[in-house]
Formats: sequence, structure tokens, C-alpha cells
Amino acid sequence: MLKASALYIVIIIALVIGLLCSSLIVVAYFYRLQDQYTLRQANLQNNLNSGINILTVAPIADYFIEKTFSLYGQDNDSVKLKVTPWGAYDIGLAKSFIQKDSLHASFILANPIDSSKWAALYIIDEDRPISISGKTAIRGDAYIPKAGVKEAYIDNKAYQGSKKLVSGNIRNSGRSLPLLNKERLNQIGQYFDISPRSVKLFKDSASASFFNETEIVQIDKNAAILSNTVLSGNIIVRCDTTLIIENTAHLENVIVVAKAIVVKSGFNGTCQLFAADSIAVESNCKLNYPSVLGVVRMKSSNNRPIAKLNVGENSVISGMLFNYEEGADRNKQPYIGLQRKVAIKGQIYSQGILELKSDVVITGSVFTSRFFYRSSFATYENYIIDATLDANGLSKYYVHSDLVPVVSKKKRVLQWLEKN
Amino acid sequence: MVREKLKINPSVNASTILEVVVSMLMILIVFSIAMTIFANVTRASTSTKQINARTILNEILTEAEKESDYTNKIIAIDEFSIQQDFKPRPESASLVEIDMIAFDANGLKIAELKKVIIKADE
Repeated sequence: MLKASALYIVIIIALVIGLLCSSLIVVAYFYRLQDQYTLRQANLQNNLNSGINILTVAPIADYFIEKTFSLYGQDNDSVKLKVTPWGAYDIGLAKSFIQKDSLHASFILANPIDSSKWAALYIIDEDRPISISGKTAIRGDAYIPKAGVKEAYIDNKAYQGSKKLVSGNIRNSGRSLPLLNKERLNQIGQYFDISPRSVKLFKDSASASFFNETEIVQIDKNAAILSNTVLSGNIIVRCDTTLIIENTAHLENVIVVAKAIVVKSGFNGTCQLFAADSIAVESNCKLNYPSVLGVVRMKSSNNRPIAKLNVGENSVISGMLFNYEEGADRNKQPYIGLQRKVAIKGQIYSQGILELKSDVVITGSVFTSRFFYRSSFATYENYIIDATLDANGLSKYYVHSDLVPVVSKKKRVLQWLEKN
Repeated sequence: MVREKLKINPSVNASTILEVVVSMLMILIVFSIAMTIFANVTRASTSTKQINARTILNEILTEAEKESDYTNKIIAIDEFSIQQDFKPRPESASLVEIDMIAFDANGLKIAELKKVIIKADE
């Protein structure tokens, strides 16, 4: 016999409805939570981008000390902004936060070129012409001596390039090179004077965030070799003697400071190398954008050897090569040498002599006091043979360090380093 | 025994009138609670309108970053009217703050967006 049991049935129905209602509440709770999270993330991203825009445009000196402020005077729009000099560039640090949620980004800031100053070639006027021979090509504007450019017959080679010699505007150069940014040079010079008390000995691979204190790694004088290591980020590698960087070392955005630096054949990485005496990059190396190689002497001394920067055959460097010596002796001018088939994308600033071997391609700009060419039989000054200087071949998005005197005051983000 | 198995119309015990009334009341209460919860959940959750308004504000912001017109204005898009204000920033003359508020047809604030942008001509 069946029972009607109306009450039991109602209780079961009520339970089912209760279950449906509670699941509806749970779904709505999580949906709301997710929606609030998405909205907060969107606000954080907006605030972070606002902070990045401020760092890109505002005077960077205002942000050498970290600033925390509210963007619009509300309680959900706080940002922390800071700029730290990093070799030839600046590192921008931006962080937006709402209560415990935060987004951050670190990036390299650099400057676009000033088209009115940009040139494929700037060679100082020493009352003599510049001579070109072989398959030399100069594409872009050129600042040359009043004596002009002429064709030359060297090493049984006549000039085989365009009749125009320089495919761009020709302007008269000055008696000296436009000066490098002194403030930036001083910042780079300080890397050589880092107090030994604040450094730690190198042990193994390391990676450091730009949001933390810079890690300064001291390489032991007796084993000044970087090999089988990965170093990336906010790290300065220091060495008081000649430092050898093997091709098994992988460097990513780090700064290396030493008396002399030797980069072994086959090396591939992105780094800023600063030496007091010399840098030698062996053959088949690849230093990626934005790498910087600089021989820097902030104090003059007659007893020191010539400051040398040499790049071996078939090496490719994207970035900047420069030398600077305070009060350099005219007979011991700093030297940059590029061996056969070297490719440079960026800028070369040679305070003294620049030697170009055949088939060197410089996509960008060359500033030098003097060219030097050595054949089997003789040496020639202010001769360019079988080299290509192409200012037009550089990407319009290429940005430079403000160390060089051809950049505008605007800043652009060169590279994103860290982002969450 | 076979007769019992083949019984076609078994007798059913009816519920008392009290049981039925209580059951109806309970069902009524449970349903009204369920409807209240459903209404609250639906009302409290983000509406499609808000999501649409946010999307439109983001689109206008992207356009504003490309253009160099920094005059305050009210833009009508779909069912929304968007108030767009520009303010100078103390950090640099090359920066401008864009404040946008989306209102619905009843004049209620639906979404808001602010950003510091670089002037397009800089």
C-alpha cells in the first residue's frame, strides 16, 4: 500500500531547491571574485602603464630616488617609480599596487636619434681629405673635413663604388669630435671605484632582479676566467686584472668591469663590457643588442699602454663601441680595430684611431678622429678601403645610449626586462 | 498470493488536510527564499552593460593615445554617454591625464577609466 507522504515529498523538494540555491550563491560569489580581480588587474595595468609613461617623459633625475605617490589622489592608484643608471643606459622600475595586489615592470630606457645630428660618418677636420677605395660605400649624411672625399688607388684596388662617393648630405666637420655625455661617463667611471668591501666573491651562476640591490661579484685575480656560468640581470662583475670570458659563459644584461677583458671565440650574449686598458673580442663572437663595449680612462697617465678595443673576424656586435681617455696624449690615442668581416649594428665612437679591415659593415654611425689602414706593405691614415658605412640601414626603432652626442632628449623603452 | 500480485488498483492513504496545508506553506516559503536569492545574485553580479561600458572606454582610450586632440567632450556611444576630460600632469608638460566616465541612459555611472598618457606629438 502506497503512502501520500506530502510532508516528506515537500522536504525533499526543499532540499533540492536549497542545493540549487547554494550552488547559485557559490557560482555568483566566485564570478564576482573573478570579476573584481579582473577589474583590479586592469586598473593595476593602467596605473603601471601610466607610471611607465611618466618615467619615459619626465626628467629622469627626479626619479633617481624612489618615489611613491598616488596618481589621481585616490586610494587605488598608487605607484612606485625609480630610475637607476645601468652602464650606458638607464633602467626604469615601475610598480603599481592596490592593497596587496601589485604589478611591476623593469625596462631599459634609451634615446632615439636626433635626425639633425645623425650621420653615417663624422671624422674630424685635420686639414686633409678622406680617401676611399675598393668597394667602400658611405650611405647617409657625412661630416667630413673641408678638403672633402676623394677616390684612391690602394693595394692594386681602385674605387669601385658609387660615383657620388657619399650618398647623403655632406657637411663640414669640426676640429674635434662632439663630446660624449660627461655625466654618463662619470657614472661608468664609478664602476671602476666600487669599494671592495661591498662585493662578494664569485661562486656560481646567478640571476638578480633589478628591483633588488645590485649584486657586485668580484672575480679572483688568480682565476680570472668566466666559464660554464649563467649570469643575468642586476649583476656587476668586477675583476682587477685581465678577465677572460669563455664561450661557455652566458651573460644577459650584466655589466663587466675589469682592467682588461678578453672575450673568447664563439661567445654569444648581451652585456656591457667596460675596461680600463683593453677589450679584445675574438673571432665569431655575437654580442646582441643592446651590448656596449667601452674602454674608459677617467684619469690620464703617460705610463699606461694605448687603450685598445679590438673585434675579431666575423664577429657581430649590436650596440655600441666607444673609447674615452681624459686628456689623451696625441701620440698614444685610443684605438679601435675591426678585423675582416666584422658587422656592427649601432654606433662606434672612437676618440682616437679607428682601423677598419676589409669587408667590415657598420650599419649605423661612426664618429672618429682618424681612420687607419694597414696593408702588407704600408700604413695609411684617413683611408677607408672595402668597408660599408650605412646609416640608413638601421631600423627606425633603434634607440641609443645618451652617452653619444647624436640622440634626442626623448626616452623610449629599449627592452622589457621583468614584468608580471 | 497470485491474486495479490495481480491487484490492479491498490489503495492509497490520503494525506490529511493539515499535511497538505503545511506542505503548501513550506513549498511557498522555500520558493520565495529561492527567488529572493536568485534575484539578489542576478542584481549583484556585473551586468553585461558594465562589461560593454568598460570595453568601450578602453577602445576610446586607445584612440585618444593616438590622437592629439585634448579637448574635454561628451561622446554618445550605443546606450552610453561618455564624459572625457583631460588634465595636465605636474610631472611633465608632455604628459596628460585622461579621465573617462561612462553613464547609462538613466545617468547612472557604469564604468570609469583613468590613465596618464604621453601627448601624441611628443
